[in-house]
Amino acid sequence: MHYKFGEPAGRYIGPGGNYHVYSSTISDVPPEGFEELPVHKMAPGEFNFQYGPSTGGLVESAGLQFITPGEMINSVQVDPTYKTRKLKMKGLDIERAILTVERINGFHASSNTIAFILAVEEALGMEPDEEVQKARILQLELERIRSNFEVLKRMGEPAGFGVPVNQIGFLRERVSRIISKAAGHRFFFGVNSPGSALISNSGLNEKLSEIRKEFDRIFSGLLQSKIFLNRLQNSCITKGKFLTGPAARAAGLRYDAREDSDSLPYDETPFVPVVHEDGDIFSRMIVRGEEIFNSFDIISSLGTVRETPGIKVEKGTGEGSARVESPQGDIFYYVKVNNGTLEDVWYVTPGTLNVRAFMESMKGNLFPDFHFNWESFGIWISELGVEIQ
Amino acid sequence: MSNFWFGEGLRKGRKTERFPHAPPEEPPLWPSVLEGSTDTFCPTDAIKDGKWDSGKCISCRLCMPEFRPTGKQDTFLIKKTEPALKKSFYLYKLDTGACGACNIELGTIFDPQYDANRLNIFITSSPRHADAIVVMGIQTEGMKEALKNAYEAMPEPKLIISLGTCAISGGILGDSPMSRDEYHIEIAGCPPSPYTILEAIAKARGE
Ligand code: SF4
Ligand code: SF4
Repeated sequence: MHYKFGEPAGRYIGPGGNYHVYSSTISDVPPEGFEELPVHKMAPGEFNFQYGPSTGGLVESAGLQFITPGEMINSVQVDPTYKTRKLKMKGLDIERAILTVERINGFHASSNTIAFILAVEEALGMEPDEEVQKARILQLELERIRSNFEVLKRMGEPAGFGVPVNQIGFLRERVSRIISKAAGHRFFFGVNSPGSALISNSGLNEKLSEIRKEFDRIFSGLLQSKIFLNRLQNSCITKGKFLTGPAARAAGLRYDAREDSDSLPYDETPFVPVVHEDGDIFSRMIVRGEEIFNSFDIISSLGTVRETPGIKVEKGTGEGSARVESPQGDIFYYVKVNNGTLEDVWYVTPGTLNVRAFMESMKGNLFPDFHFNWESFGIWISELGVEIQ
Repeated sequence: MSNFWFGEGLRKGRKTERFPHAPPEEPPLWPSVLEGSTDTFCPTDAIKDGKWDSGKCISCRLCMPEFRPTGKQDTFLIKKTEPALKKSFYLYKLDTGACGACNIELGTIFDPQYDANRLNIFITSSPRHADAIVVMGIQTEGMKEALKNAYEAMPEPKLIISLGTCAISGGILGDSPMSRDEYHIEIAGCPPSPYTILEAIAKARGE
C-alpha cells in the first residue's frame, strides 16, 4: 500500500477508524496539541441555549450549544451525532458498497466515491487509466464549483443580500443541470466504478464559460459591497494548524490534496492552490470564490473526456488507501478487500477538523456572526454522522 | 453599491421557468419514471413481477437495459390534498438521516429557475407555523424524538410529506422514519429532482 502505517509524518489530515491520518502515514499517534478542546465552565451571568437539532436555519440536523452572557459567544459545542446513520459496508462486494459510499454525503458524492474507488483500485492492484483519471478530475472540479456556489449563496442569506443570493443560486442550479447532462445524475450517483467513469464533457466547456462570465461579475460586485464585507472581515478568525481545505488555505496554509496527494494527476493541470492569510470569514469566502475560477481553468485544460464504460473487476485481495481534495478539504479512504469483499473500510472526513475550527473561531465573536461563520466552513453533517458497520 | 445590485437584478430579467404550468425545460434522466417489464436484479427490490416501485428506486442504473429512464418527472404519489392551503403553504423540513442531496434539492425549488415562492410555497423554522412536514432521510435514533415533537406541534390540518427514497422506504441505507401508510404525499427519487418536488408540493393543495 502506498500509505504506510507508522510514526506521524506530514501534515495532519484527521482521525478515522482507530487511527490518525497524516499526509504521508497512518498512525495510532495523535498529533501533539490535538487533545479535546477545553470545556467552557459557565461563569456567573452566562447562560446556555440549544440551537437545533432541527431548525430552519440549518440545512441538516445538528445540535449546537451556545454559552453566552448576552451577545458575545463564549463557547459553542457542535453535536453532529443526532442523525448518525449506521451504514452496513463490511462484507459487501465493491459494486454494492459504492451505492452506500455515494450516499455518505450526497452533495460531495464524487469526492467520497472517487477516494473510495482509488483505494479499492490500489487494493486490487489496478493501474488507474489516464482517461478515467481525467474524468475523475472533471467530476471533482464540477462538484467543487457547485459546492462553492452553495457556500457563497448561503453566506449571503443571513445578510438578506437577495440579488446576489438568487444569482448565485441560479448559477449553482445551472451547474447541477450541466452535471446531469454530462453524467446522467445531478449528484454523480451511478457514475463511478473501478476502472470506469460514465461522464463526458461534450458541449460542457461553452456552457461553463458563460457561467464563469456571469460569476465574474457577481463576485466583483460582492467584493465591492462594503457593508457585507464589513461583517466578514476580522470576524471568527482561525489560524491553528489543525485545518483543512478552504479554511486552511484562508489561514495562510498551503494545504491541498491536489498538491500533496498523488492519487490524481493534478500536476498535469493548471491547478494552483488559492491561499489567503487572515483566517477570517472574509478570507474563507474569497478562497471559495477564487477557487471557482481555478476549477474552470482545470476543467477546460482536460481536453476531451469520454465515458469509459464499466469493466469486469477481478476478485482480488489487498489493502489500499487514497486521499482527494473535496470542496471541504481532504477526504481519505482506507479499504481492505478480501476476495472481492470489503473486509474493512474507514474514512477521514474534513468535517472533523472543520467543526473543531468552527468552534474555536466562534469564541469571542457575536451571535449575529454565527450563521456567516458556520456557512463559511461548508460543513456537511451527513459525512460526520456515520457509523460504518 | 445597492445601485449596482438593483441594476444587476434588472439586467438579468426574469429567470423563472413556467413549470409546473409548462413542461420541464431540462428534466434529468436519473431520477425519472422508469419503463420496462422484464424482471431483473434491483438492489432495493424496486422491481418485482416486472413492475417498478418509484418509492424504492435509488437511481443506481443496475436494471439497465431491462428498465430505462423516460425523463418523466412525475415520480410522486398524492394520497391526500388540502385545498385550504392554496393561499399559502408553509413547509417544515425535518432531516431524520439524509445524505444531504435531498436537503439541497428541497432548497433548490426556491432558486430562480423554480421560484416556489411564486406558488405561495414557503419554508418555516417552526412546526407550529407549518402546514406540512417534509421528512427526509432514513430513521436514526437521535432524530426520533425531534420527529415526534414536530409532528405533535403542528396544527391541523397537517400534511406529512416524505421526500426521497430513504424517507419513503429506507432505500439502500436503512429503515424509513414512518410507515408508507402514514405519509400523505410520497415524493420519490434519490434525490427527487426540483421539478418533481415543486409539482408534488403544488399538487398537495389540490391544484
Ligand atoms: S435504478 Fe436501481 S434501484 Fe432503481 S429500479 Fe433500477 S436497479 Fe432498482
Ligand atoms: S433518498 Fe437518496 S438523496 Fe435522499 S437522503 Fe436518501 S440517499 Fe440521499
